[in-house]
Amino acid sequence: MPITEAHAGRRYPPCDPYQVSAAKITEFVTALGDDNPRYRGESPMAPPTFAAVISAQAWDQLFSDPELELSLGRIVHGDQRFTFMRPLHAGDVVVATVTIDKVRVRSGSELISATVDIASRDGEPVCTAQATLAHSRKAAA
Amino acid sequence: MKATVVDGVEVGTTLPVVAVRFTRERLVRYAGASTDFNPIHYSEHFAKQVGLPGVIAHGMLTMGAALRVVTTWVGDPSRVISYAVRFTRPVLVPDDADGVEVEFSGSVSAIDGSLVTVSIEAISDGRKVLGAARAEVDLGVRVPHRDREP
Repeated sequence: MPITEAHAGRRYPPCDPYQVSAAKITEFVTALGDDNPRYRGESPMAPPTFAAVISAQAWDQLFSDPELELSLGRIVHGDQRFTFMRPLHAGDVVVATVTIDKVRVRSGSELISATVDIASRDGEPVCTAQATLAHSRKAAA
Repeated sequence: MKATVVDGVEVGTTLPVVAVRFTRERLVRYAGASTDFNPIHYSEHFAKQVGLPGVIAHGMLTMGAALRVVTTWVGDPSRVISYAVRFTRPVLVPDDADGVEVEFSGSVSAIDGSLVTVSIEAISDGRKVLGAARAEVDLGVRVPHRDREP
């Protein structure tokens, strides 16, 4: 059975710890075309939306949950909100945990609201990333 | 930390425009950097199969590029304390050398003590691609603003 309203509230186990690296920050800011000096040098800061890299890791848990029958290729991002408690720097190790907040089932599609909590290994909150993902269901053959 | 952009900031202050060219190369770079390998961002065949007009940019690429308006203005990106957008229209990226240019602009829409809210607009192919895009920035010092005075 695919994802339903009843999956709201499901919280997945924390992902493996993620270590922010200078090399990954460089790749990310190069893709954005962003030359802010804060993202370079000895102890670079990660740009605020770098939290998306860590969120994606947590979302993978939804896509790989066989019970939900979701497919990444049928997902379109509807909205995104980040709340930043502190910036991330190269060397930081963080843990992401995803929770399904709400599911709205339409004919042929689902709207999934999910929150990824990003925290230090000690549990200090770093960033909250809330998203709505639209999933289109394959038409029955 | 010293605040950089307090003098003269008021509701309505406009920020310098940032224009970013989205090409297929940039999408591939962003896919690798972000680890978002949804094929709608690189495969025309796949995108059409799921009902899209063609390959579209990652929403998060548009969101990340749009924030440059704010971080370039404020200088220190760690001053951004919240950022939200709605992805209202996909950015179609043609498979050619030019791709498509996305133009980002911003203006101060609210001031509360040291907190400044910037509303961001993103235009691609003459149309808005982000809705309700707002970043909240803590400038570190109270912003004197006459907008509230009677």
